[in-house]
Amino acid sequence: MASQLGAALVLATAGLLGAVVARTYQERPRVLRALQAALTMLATEISYAATPLPEALRRVARHTPAAVAAFFEEVSRELEQNPGAPAGEVWRRAVAARRGWCLTAEDEAVLLDLGGYLGRSSAADQERHLRLALAQLGRLQAEAEAQRDTQVRLWRYLGLCVGGCLVLLLY
Amino acid sequence: MTVSRAARQAGEPAGRSRGAAPGLFAAPAVDDALAFRTIASHRACTCGDEDPIDRDIAPFLPPRLRPLITQLPQEQKARLVELRLRVGRPLAAVLRGDGQWFISAQGLVRHPAAAESVTADDGARLLAAVSRSSVYALEDAFRQGYVTLPGGHRVGFCGEAAVEAGDLRTWRHVASFNIRIARAVPGAADAVLPRLVAAGGRIRHTLVVSPPACGKTTLLRDLARQISWGVPSLGLAGQAVAIVDERSEIAACRDGIPQHDVGPCTDVCDRCPKAPGMLLMIRAMAPRVLVTDELGTPADAAAVLEAVHAGVSVVASAHGASWEEVARRPALAPLVQNGAFERAVILSRRRGPGTVEAILDLAPRAGGSARRPPSGSTGRQVGQGTVINQPVGQ
Repeated sequence: MASQLGAALVLATAGLLGAVVARTYQERPRVLRALQAALTMLATEISYAATPLPEALRRVARHTPAAVAAFFEEVSRELEQNPGAPAGEVWRRAVAARRGWCLTAEDEAVLLDLGGYLGRSSAADQERHLRLALAQLGRLQAEAEAQRDTQVRLWRYLGLCVGGCLVLLLY
Repeated sequence: MTVSRAARQAGEPAGRSRGAAPGLFAAPAVDDALAFRTIASHRACTCGDEDPIDRDIAPFLPPRLRPLITQLPQEQKARLVELRLRVGRPLAAVLRGDGQWFISAQGLVRHPAAAESVTADDGARLLAAVSRSSVYALEDAFRQGYVTLPGGHRVGFCGEAAVEAGDLRTWRHVASFNIRIARAVPGAADAVLPRLVAAGGRIRHTLVVSPPACGKTTLLRDLARQISWGVPSLGLAGQAVAIVDERSEIAACRDGIPQHDVGPCTDVCDRCPKAPGMLLMIRAMAPRVLVTDELGTPADAAAVLEAVHAGVSVVASAHGASWEEVARRPALAPLVQNGAFERAVILSRRRGPGTVEAILDLAPRAGGSARRPPSGSTGRQVGQGTVINQPVGQ
């Protein structure tokens, strides 16, 4: 009875681990898409309305999915609390603090590059940098989607298979 | 702000001479912020006991330089008129009635070599702070040459210009900042206002005349505030005031919200050219009193006439040393000929900014010429609530 319970636990744990890894592959394109939507909105706020950055980021946060919204919310709040802090620095800290949003180092590098220019130049220039970041994120998203299609199923099955093997070996 | 300088100069000649010794820290002076507060009947809602430097300016300063300024003695902070940050050069300050100082870690010094230098990073941080990390949102402000901080303080800047079609488009690099500390002077209009109230609490059409930097704007601001709040002792009920603030100096708006107390019933048309602004305010906001600064073009004059004939009291200002001088200005001549104004307030800085030289009672509309006040009488200074003007001809 106890051994059956143990076997079930091992199988479930391995399956869960596989599912967790699979989930990061599933989440990444979603986050990337949300980020692109957010940055497009930010570009509009900056170039058409010339909304000051903290307010523009807050508005963006209000219209994006939770994982991404929290990021923009945090940058906006930080900028409002210390008006003297350069936006690039605040942005970088917020990217570094964001764990578990399934982005790779490559994705974060695009965001960090953008952060260095944020709010520091004319509207036209800001829009150029935002367009560049959007193009890069678009490419990364296509890549992430291709990965998702192959990796999600792989990791789910792999988890269950490894669990099954362990059960066979142990018992 | 300018009137406060008058009060200080009149009240404290000793403080100035002590402060002038080279290499010494600034001489202590009586806290005049306190003196003004006793005059104040209604202060802006942002008012606390805290110094405006600590409250409004310090959060925007680069963190490296912030303590140098917040650690200055209170009486020096109270006299601070300008803070100047020039990249690569010493941090400088201008004290009221006391000229140019430099700021070091030990306090104010006379010699620039002993002062703390402003770095490029300090400049970048200050620009980020005053623009709220949004230099792109400053393009209009760049063209104007300044931004307004909460509290009505102005940050003017210059540097390397980017020119487009012969006009300044933006600054490519900003290297010089001038932070001008705004101190509204509630009570500046105390001595003038009683002369401007007609029967039934109507405000007379008034033109404030003076050369630059004599306290015109300060007077207009306080007139707007008192008329808007109402002055029961003059039988003046609060009435709707519209300010057309082309240069954003009267109300010092930030995001359209006045940073000075200009009264509870006051609407401000910020940064809009005067002539269309005046017509728009009459049409849209139905004011009883219209306040505007520095009439100068024929379009301004036409808009004032329009307002006068629309039954709105106009309180405006114009550059000029005397009423005769204003009457000779081609753009303003139609106003004088039409007898648009009933009162003229002439200011000078003979005894410091805000000295009221005369309040003229201009002849009835049909007459069109100004009646001189009795000769021999002298103007007295507007300062800490002192009375001020000469008799108005009846």
